[in-house]
Amino acid sequence: MGALAAVALAGCASGSGSTASPAGAISISTGGCGGDWHLDTPGWHTFQLHNSASDAAEVELINPATGAVYDDIENLGAGTTAPLRLDVGSGSYAFRCLIEDTDAITGPTEKVPGHTSGATAILPVTDDDLLASAREYHKYVTTGLVTLARQVNTLNSAIQGAIQGGNLSAARSAWLPAHLTYERLGAAYDSFGDFDGEIDGRPDGLVGGVNSPDWTGFYRLEYGLWHGQSAASLKKLSAQLVHDVGALQKSWPSTQIDLLNMGLRTHEILENALQFQVSGHDDYGSGTTLATTEANVTGTKVLLTELRPVLAPRYTDLPAVYTWLNRLQKLIDATHTSRGWTAVSKLPTTTRQDIDAAISQSLVELAPIADITEPRRQ
Amino acid sequence: MPEDHEQPESSGAGEAAGGSGAAGSGAPAPVPGRRSFLRGALGAGVSAGVAGAALGAAGGYAYRAPQPTPKTQVAADQAATGRLPAVPFHGRYQAGILPLPQPATSVVSFDATAEGRGELTDLLQALTARARLLTAGGLPAPTGIGAPPSDSGTLGPSIVPDGLTVTVGVGSTLFDDRYGLAGHKPAKLTGMRTFPDDALDPAQVGGDLVVQLSAGHTDTVLHALRDITRHTRGGLQINWRMDGYTSPARPSGTVPRNHFGFMDGISNPDHTDAATMNRLVWVDSSTSGEPSWAAGGSYFVVRLIRMLTEFWDRVSIAEQEQMIGRRRPTGYPLDANSIQATPNFALDPNGGAIPLTAHLRLANPRTPQSADSRILRRAYNYDRGIDSVGNLDMGLLFTCFQQDVKRQFEATQTRLIGEPMVDYITPFGGGYFFALPGVADERDHYGRALLA
Repeated sequence: MGALAAVALAGCASGSGSTASPAGAISISTGGCGGDWHLDTPGWHTFQLHNSASDAAEVELINPATGAVYDDIENLGAGTTAPLRLDVGSGSYAFRCLIEDTDAITGPTEKVPGHTSGATAILPVTDDDLLASAREYHKYVTTGLVTLARQVNTLNSAIQGAIQGGNLSAARSAWLPAHLTYERLGAAYDSFGDFDGEIDGRPDGLVGGVNSPDWTGFYRLEYGLWHGQSAASLKKLSAQLVHDVGALQKSWPSTQIDLLNMGLRTHEILENALQFQVSGHDDYGSGTTLATTEANVTGTKVLLTELRPVLAPRYTDLPAVYTWLNRLQKLIDATHTSRGWTAVSKLPTTTRQDIDAAISQSLVELAPIADITEPRRQ
Repeated sequence: MPEDHEQPESSGAGEAAGGSGAAGSGAPAPVPGRRSFLRGALGAGVSAGVAGAALGAAGGYAYRAPQPTPKTQVAADQAATGRLPAVPFHGRYQAGILPLPQPATSVVSFDATAEGRGELTDLLQALTARARLLTAGGLPAPTGIGAPPSDSGTLGPSIVPDGLTVTVGVGSTLFDDRYGLAGHKPAKLTGMRTFPDDALDPAQVGGDLVVQLSAGHTDTVLHALRDITRHTRGGLQINWRMDGYTSPARPSGTVPRNHFGFMDGISNPDHTDAATMNRLVWVDSSTSGEPSWAAGGSYFVVRLIRMLTEFWDRVSIAEQEQMIGRRRPTGYPLDANSIQATPNFALDPNGGAIPLTAHLRLANPRTPQSADSRILRRAYNYDRGIDSVGNLDMGLLFTCFQQDVKRQFEATQTRLIGEPMVDYITPFGGGYFFALPGVADERDHYGRALLA
């Protein structure tokens, strides 16, 4: 570690409420960001970053020429020190300090000599970068909700129509397309707020489980339709679903999509699919959890399309994401025969293993996207 | 200051992708150049294209080994935590085969989901890269703002080696028509035979690949398992798994006890004697009928054996000792006064001291004819909850290594058919595998000669 001569000159004595920084640490304060530091040679190095300010801070190590970020420390409380370890290549570096309620401060540029490559930096993503993506996604959901409203109406009519002696086969046929339309909207779950629990909730966590009167929505109807429950006993539930979808549709135009969720959802949709659909957990009788998974893949791909302008220049493994999502879809499609969908519990072990492998590797490839697209302060 | 400098990058992993994928089309994306289909051998795929141009590298895409922890730090960590030092990874043989059982182990059977030979090669390269890294230890590579952390952190900020060994074997099913390996199967590799006293559960038998992870502590084993599965998700799916542990020798000595209270593994060929190991354990280029790639490997048998401890505890000590052939407190053979004494069956032809059906006697009759059938026995205890009648699900994770399964394990197991102890044990799973030759150096990988 002899190559380092890091000294914190600026900042220690300036800024209100500053605290002394530990020896060798790089000081962050309202009066300066990082001070003078120097590395004689490239290579692995650990910077000790000390927040001397009286408010929490975020510190980025950036390429001052491009603004690209090598790494950052978030949530650095006042008076605390945290390490930032980096394979420092030859080139220019500066610290950028984002102290709460204070304008960003960029420290002096330091040059690390030589011709050795190190860790790469990524151009940070800002709210502005994500706004267009979120707008497109909002439109996609708007369109999807129109379809959904029509499909839950069809479902409801089929159930109401079966009350006078009819059978529920039309209702069972109408259930799946409506449910899949909803599942394709994946990214918006958080934005849907309480509507999601009403429209697509599961009985877990309800006293009485599947017999709970508080269980409503698609899965509740699936349970009834595939467990011999009468049309009369389901009519209130299907009318409720029509009502809840209508309410969601009405509230949607004024609903904002949280920009942070755009990236997070790219893996969370399929994390949920793995946990609840590919596992068979959310099979309440229809045996269509793989259809749901495929709808979730579609929803994920829509998000990726909207995020493409942000991702393409930053994520070189984006093609691998598609390789695996496409493989997953192909494997799921192969389970869909002329007789319909197959419950995962009825699939041969090797088929399940192939699907488990493909969705799991898809998730590994998707995981970096949430980090890359996290909106950062300008 | 070597520890201040970046580690050498692996070859062939530095191409940039340029982000020209078929996003949104749903069509298979063009994959630029040759890219591993798994991430195990690569780092995070964060682009240098826009941001890192000043550094002129597609770095970050290339695999970076973790930064080695300074030796003084390693020594301090080991002293503070009781961790074991690193076991050298490279060598003619896999390092985990000969050593005595470690305190913690996990045997994990996988099925390969890799599509085709190229992906299988990627998979074995990824597995090699992770094993190399995990057994050496060091500081995990930071991922900046472009990816989740590269390490789970369950061993703390620095990966401690803790004596970790990774032993990789292949099952006979890997040599079916999927990977074009049918003509390369080790000569004596078959599916696991069902013995008359077995009650095998098909879900816990066999597998395309087996990985045994052994180390000084359970957290080290589980950290390694988590890391390996994380980096091989698309290519491997866990088929079955059994964790085991080694009890301390009680009251002293070197031989641990099993759940029946008896010392287990007293009589084993001397693993430090190369000639004996060459005769009993290793397949080499002169082993008859074996493909040349198999030299340096060994047949690896795993048996999952439930022990009915409640039933056993209701059996008199005399009967227990007659079934085993040794004294329970001391481990002495019933005809001798020391633990290492060789029982003299010739002087006891009617079984007056050691019954003719005792495990000790059947397992190893100690005749010139049976010498050839000895195995390198490496058993661990397991303990995993309860069964359907409320009994404790405890047993033996039996593993052994040998040159020839039929000549050694199966011959031994055949002699044991119907032994009195079978009422108290139920073999329910496991498999036959071929432990691959060792990874020779930085450029080698598991199965390289097999796939060449």
